[in-house]
Order: sequence, then C-alpha cells, then structure tokens
Amino acid sequence: MASYNTNEFRSGLKLMIDGDPCSILDNEVVKPGKGQAFNRVKIRNLKTGRVVERTYKSGESVEVADVMDTELQYLYNDGEQWHFMHPETFEQMAADKTAVGDANLWLKEQDMCTVTLWNGNPLAVMPPNFVVLTVTDTDPGLKGDTSGGGGKPATLETGAVVQVPLFIAIGEALKVDTRTGKYVSRAKD
Amino acid sequence: MIKHWQASASFDLIKLRADTLRKIRSFFDNNNVLEVDTPTLSCATVPDPFIESFRTQYLPLTQTMQTDNYYLHTSPEFPMKRLLASGSGSIYQISKVFRQGESGRKHNPEFTLLEWYREGWDHHQLMEEVSSLLNSLLIPYIDLTEADLITYEEAFKKKLGFNPHTISKPDLLDCVNHAGLANVLNHDEHRDRFLELLFSHVIEPSLGVKNEDNGDIRSNICLLYNYPASQASLAKTALYQGQLVAERFEVFINGMEIGNGFHELNDAREQRNRFIADNRSRKQMGIKQIPMDENFLEAVENLPKCAGVAIGIERLLMVMSQSEHINDVLAFPFERA
Repeated sequence: MASYNTNEFRSGLKLMIDGDPCSILDNEVVKPGKGQAFNRVKIRNLKTGRVVERTYKSGESVEVADVMDTELQYLYNDGEQWHFMHPETFEQMAADKTAVGDANLWLKEQDMCTVTLWNGNPLAVMPPNFVVLTVTDTDPGLKGDTSGGGGKPATLETGAVVQVPLFIAIGEALKVDTRTGKYVSRAKD
Repeated sequence: MIKHWQASASFDLIKLRADTLRKIRSFFDNNNVLEVDTPTLSCATVPDPFIESFRTQYLPLTQTMQTDNYYLHTSPEFPMKRLLASGSGSIYQISKVFRQGESGRKHNPEFTLLEWYREGWDHHQLMEEVSSLLNSLLIPYIDLTEADLITYEEAFKKKLGFNPHTISKPDLLDCVNHAGLANVLNHDEHRDRFLELLFSHVIEPSLGVKNEDNGDIRSNICLLYNYPASQASLAKTALYQGQLVAERFEVFINGMEIGNGFHELNDAREQRNRFIADNRSRKQMGIKQIPMDENFLEAVENLPKCAGVAIGIERLLMVMSQSEHINDVLAFPFERA
C-alpha cells in the first residue's frame, strides 16, 4: 500500500483518512526548539467536502488516496446517472447524484468537465468555470433598458436560476460563471 | 512575480535584519558582554533525540578516503560553555546554525541564533534581561503591552485546568482526547510527548497574545519558566513549591516560540547521564546515536554558575515585520539557497 511520510506533506496531496479520500489544504510543521515535532494539516474530505484539522506525529506515514482529476465530456443524464466520456479513448463513465452535487445546475451536453476519480470511479464533478446556457423563462424584457440598473431572475435550460439584467429575453444564450453562479454577459455568437 | 534567483525578502526586511543585529551588538557592548566566535563544524554534537544535526566528512588533501564524521552545530552552546569554563566571563554570539528536517512556515534548516551567557546569574535575572532587550528591539515596530512571567504549571492550569507535574497518565490521555488530539500518539509513549502535544496545539498559540478588557488583542512578551524536570535538557533542576522542576524558560510572542534559556547545569556527572539517556531514546527511536562530546563534558565540570539563552533572529524579525512566513525575512531561504 503506497503511503506518504509527513515530510512529503504539501497542499494538494491526496490521502486516505478515516476511510475517506481527502486533500491537504494546508500543512504546518509544529516543531518546538526542544521536543516532539508534529504536522498539523487542514484537509478537505473529498466525499463530503468538509474541512477538518488533523495532527500527525512527524515521521509517520499516511496511506495515499488513489485520486486523480480527468477532463471528460458530459454526454447526458438518464434520470439517475450523469454520463461522461473520455475525449480520446471514448471510454464512458457514469457519476451518481452525490458525485455530481451542485454541478448538475451547470452541466450542458458536450461541455468538458473536470471529473475527480477515486479508485477509477467518479467522486466529484467540476463544471467548466464558464458555461453558455439558454434562458427558458424570465419576465418579458424591457427593450431599451441597457443601463444594467435593476435585475430579475432568469431560469436557464439546466434549471439554474440566475439574476440577469432587465433587457434579457427568453431564448437568449448567456455566459455564466459557475464558481459564483453569476451572469457574466450575453454569449458572443 | 519574483524569480527563483531573486531574494525572497524585501530590501526593507534585509535592512531590518542589519539594523537589529547592530542594535543587539550595541546592547551587549554597553553591558560589557564579549562577542565571541566558535566553530560551526565540530566532531561532536547535541544528542537530544528531537534535534538532528547535519553530518559531513573531512577529506584531507590528496586523500580520497573519507574520514571521521563532523557535524554542523545546531547551537553554539557547547563551545561557548567551554569558553565560560576557561574564564571568559559573560559572552554572546550571533551565529548561523543548522537543523535537519526543520522546514516550514516558521522553520528554515539554516537559521540565525543569538546566544548569550551571563556569569553568576540565574534564569530569573536572565529572563529580566531578555525582556528588556526584546522590548527595546520590538517597541519601535509593534504595539507591545506588559510582559507576562508565568510558570509552565500555571499555563497548563489556566488553559487546561490540570497540574502538568502531577497529573496521572490516564487523566492526561483523557485530556488529550478531549482536546481532539486522540490517536496522534501511541498510548505507551512518554508522558512528556503528550504534554508537548497539548502544549504546542492548545497552550502555545495563546502565549504572548493578550486579550484586553476592552476586547483589543495585543502582543506581549511571555516568559514561561520552570519546566518539568524530565524536560530539563541542559538546565539545573531545583525544588519549587515542593515540586522538582527544570530551571529552564522559553520566550513567546504572538503564540510563537522565540527562544529558550537555562540556569545552566554544571554537574558533569548529571550531564553525562542525561546524554546517555538521550542516546538510549535515540536507540529506541531507531535513529543514530551521537558520540559523547568529552571536551564539553570536561568543561561542564569547571563551568561557573551562569544562565544562558538562545533567541531565533528570524522569528524575532517575523514578529517585528508581522511576517507570516520565515521566507519573508530570509534573503535566500532553503529552497533558493
């Protein structure tokens, strides 16, 4: 079983902690002038997203989590699972609701996503930073109002609801930042 | 973006180091403490199981066979005590020291120590001088409130509600679990490891940080003294309120250790026994044992009553400049050296 020694700890390292795959966010060496050294790490549980602190006696080893990020193309949702495909090997993979999480609000067919695999299975899905989605519902547009003053909610083709300027109408394609869930602009083309 | 070949410290902080070293030299000059210079490379080193020395070899000219081990010093303590035993009187030194494996936000494997010894003093007199030197160095840069002088026992009682000298091992383990630090150490480890764990995680972050009545948080110099006798290192032990303690102190500012001092042990037999115990721990931990420094042990026999302290200059500069990372105060930290 592969493992990392505490002296190899650095942010981004993936470890198995209490049976769950985790990622190190911060590693602090706690070493008094005289006495035992410890590594105090801040970790994110990749299954639950929770951030916790853990301490290890320096020199100990912790099991490696077989976690890697891959770029996959989103194909479709069959009602239960979200299907992705590797763009070169055409290998297909299905992710469940837990893995997809909030990303389902931004997944558009054909878009490339970052899928985190644990032991070869999808653990988490990250949508692209920016997606282009069509407005399926919003209050009638106020022509001529381009001041960007107020705003109104608009429902997009994926079901996501974002605040948009008053001049946006149903059927328009919008660029949205998935990290903030905010409207950026009308899509260029 | 700073390139790898460039300095990681700003020129303001490079200048702050120069100014600070000049003030330190003038402080000791005014107090008739002699600046000395002792070897960085020597045939012996400290056997403390939690300090690891860099090792190297001497290679005579025209000879390709490597010879004996030499060590880079982790502190100039041993040769400085040999000077004191030779009659130097009070001395100080500013030197580069080296410690294996110590790298991180507050550590660089090569760092600068200010170390000084006061002949005829005990640790209480020296703590006063440490406080006055640090005050004069820090006050122009940070808002310091009155210093704290508390015992190791008081610090544990205040923060964790138990006496570290007398608590039973099962109660100590309970407290460790309660602090969310279960499973960090094996239960059969020495009680000092558990005290060290609680100290570094629960107590140390609050030392040298003062919560004022009006809600303000201010920095201060915290001098913590009278450690457990089992953590004496090179300090004398003595009875304090009926409890055998080490006459050792540490200095903290903003929850960070700045230095460590001793009322120096001058019993050569006791010192040898402690070194033997250190090597025994090393053997148990599966790390290399260290040859006895016989020159040092002979000098301890003749060491006058004195107290000594070592202050980490980079840590001090971090406090003065409110730097988050030691690399901010080093021209070229380990990764760029």
